[in-house]
Amino acid sequence: MKMKLKGIQVFWIILIMDLGMTLVMTVTPSLQAKQDAWISVIVAGGIATLIALLATQAAKLYPGQTFFEYIHLILGKWIGKAVIVIYLVQWYTITPIILRQFSDLVQVMLLHGTPKEAVMLLMIFVIVYATYAGGIEGIARCGEVLGPIILLMIGLVLIASTNNIQWRNILPVYADSGMTGILGGALAPASYLGHSVEYLMFAAFLTQPRKGALYTFGAVLTSVFFVLITTLMVIFTLGVNLSSNTWYPFFEMTKKISLFGFIDNFDAIPVVIWLASVFVKFAVMLFLMSYGTAQFLHVRNWRNLIWFIAPVMFVFALIPQDVTEATSNYLQRYWVPFAMPVNMLGLPLLLLVIGKWRQRKWPAAADHA
Amino acid sequence: MTRILRTFRFLVIFVILGLTTGCWDRNEMDDLALVMASGIDLTEDGQLEITLQIALPTGIPSAVQSGGSGKKSVIVISASGKNTSEVTGKLQQQLSRAIFFGHRGVIIFGEQFARHGINQVVDTFTRFPESRSNSYVLTTYGGTAKEILNTPYQLELIPGIGINKIQSSKLSFPVKIDEFLNALSSQDRSPVTAAIRVINKGTDKETFTIDRAAVYHRNQLSGYLSSDELKLLRWWTGRGHHLRFTVQVEPENEQYGGTVGVELLQSGMKMHLVIKNDLPEIKVSLHATVRAIDNDSKLDLSKVNHMKRVETLLSKKIQSEAESMLTHVQKVLKSDIFGIGEEVHIEYPYAWKKMKDEWLDIFPEVPVTVDAHIKIERTGKTHSPAHKEKTD
Repeated sequence: MKMKLKGIQVFWIILIMDLGMTLVMTVTPSLQAKQDAWISVIVAGGIATLIALLATQAAKLYPGQTFFEYIHLILGKWIGKAVIVIYLVQWYTITPIILRQFSDLVQVMLLHGTPKEAVMLLMIFVIVYATYAGGIEGIARCGEVLGPIILLMIGLVLIASTNNIQWRNILPVYADSGMTGILGGALAPASYLGHSVEYLMFAAFLTQPRKGALYTFGAVLTSVFFVLITTLMVIFTLGVNLSSNTWYPFFEMTKKISLFGFIDNFDAIPVVIWLASVFVKFAVMLFLMSYGTAQFLHVRNWRNLIWFIAPVMFVFALIPQDVTEATSNYLQRYWVPFAMPVNMLGLPLLLLVIGKWRQRKWPAAADHA
Repeated sequence: MTRILRTFRFLVIFVILGLTTGCWDRNEMDDLALVMASGIDLTEDGQLEITLQIALPTGIPSAVQSGGSGKKSVIVISASGKNTSEVTGKLQQQLSRAIFFGHRGVIIFGEQFARHGINQVVDTFTRFPESRSNSYVLTTYGGTAKEILNTPYQLELIPGIGINKIQSSKLSFPVKIDEFLNALSSQDRSPVTAAIRVINKGTDKETFTIDRAAVYHRNQLSGYLSSDELKLLRWWTGRGHHLRFTVQVEPENEQYGGTVGVELLQSGMKMHLVIKNDLPEIKVSLHATVRAIDNDSKLDLSKVNHMKRVETLLSKKIQSEAESMLTHVQKVLKSDIFGIGEEVHIEYPYAWKKMKDEWLDIFPEVPVTVDAHIKIERTGKTHSPAHKEKTD
């Protein structure tokens, strides 16, 4: 059974993976650039576009083959295996973190008394079901439905917040943060927006692989646009003094919404955004892990691996002690200093350069393979 | 394969049904004590005293039996202790329902507590998930927050809602908790809240009024603005809606008091700023269009020269009032409640870097000049007082 993805489905998958979590999780780290956080987001958008460029170009080298297949062709058997392990580490660690961040947010903001195991289990069951029954194709169809809803909800929050705008909050531009502040603030959103690197894996499932790159860029740019507007809105409505000390400024912004004296407490809307994003992102990751591990270990049916991976993810997600460990430490110790330069920028670049070089040197061999 | 899938499908449905009933965080309405307003005081032995005004659902008459049933619609409870969590713990022990802060619309700081410093409590307003940033903050003027919360208010069943409505109308000086904390945490602005006090104490007409402003220096209450100064502060901060001013246009005589009263229609403030010798110099212009509300003088407002005279006198009066308010705020209270620092920060960010740490010491010495421009736009239905005895 070969799974097929349409270009627009890739657009929605990457958009959701990039957007939802960046909005909720990275506004605080990018606020180290104070009121210039929006410049940081633009810089982050540049980095994310570069990542998308590398990933799509590298994926174009061997259309129709999965990442795990062509990586051996480019780098040889052993180095290829090492690189695969690096990516598997990325996916195996980010997934429990997503799960934990999800349950942390639900607990901090909404359900203070519910045990985190219950919150996580619920999500895991839905995701395992989606991945097992639908594979990437099923997830992509979910994405097609959820994506527009997410955009609609974000739009709603942004529009409803417009009457809380204090234009002066954005000033003065640049003077307070400087170059280092802005670049420092760009790292976290860039690393979250860099999820287009997973295009390396989706590309194999595309019905029209050549058009995939276009949809990827569209997704990255759309999410950068929304993150930019949202960051600006957070600065305009909350200012930077308080929001830089809260975990989820996006939520705080919706808590301030009060329209016509009777529409209050918009908290439920970001929860929809959050749930839908986590669902799609986690499901995609679970699929990639199962499918990738299966190819790596030469397991014939990748679906069998879900039964192993899902419980492991659940146990891993229980390890971090609190929000700080799950969100900040992972972000600052692994995701930004390692995953972003190596997995998102370095390795795709390496693949692209060596792959191009090989195809030029032995064009026939490449065609055969 | 399909059998596994089908079994799995049923399993998932059952588990999800079991987990989504939401029993863990179930909160029945009649298990909650809805806090409508809360107050914080400092007791004489230095402890924190928290007072909660809790809505009493049985005391609120339904639509059918409305009209003074005589029952109380709120209960007010207090307890004291070292910090917020200890005190709320004590308060909870007096109640059969769980304290719920999600509907709190008003937070009142007692004067003594505010003078002592508010740092030990404010963290909870941002940390505690139930706290809403849309609650209004007030400071008491004389007396305690406990007294305010025990004061009846006739127009609303719940006094806390009364305070909330006063503050959310455009006729007061509203400060929300997040604005307050924002000012508290920034170097370029000092916090200020409206000040509330009890009037007609001891009579059956006892109620509260919000007619002053409480000014903070860093995290401590440093003093109050009078009612007249509060009016100018509202004008300055863009809340000049329906403000009224009275000006003496002629000497009082037997027939007339000699005053004209006006109400602001549109008002605004412009600040001009230059840096001279590393010190900012500020020019403020207050401008407004007004309509005449009452005219207790011989002047005929339809005549240009009479109107001009009123405008000039009014402008002068506002100008001198604003100047005396500035002196009061700068020299006595020493708090930058106008956000002049913010203006310097925005317009001269690099100069600001040098002065931001000493801003509150620099601020009292900053020269500020004010001028006021007032235009009468409407004079109402009459030109000169209509009841005036016709002499010709």
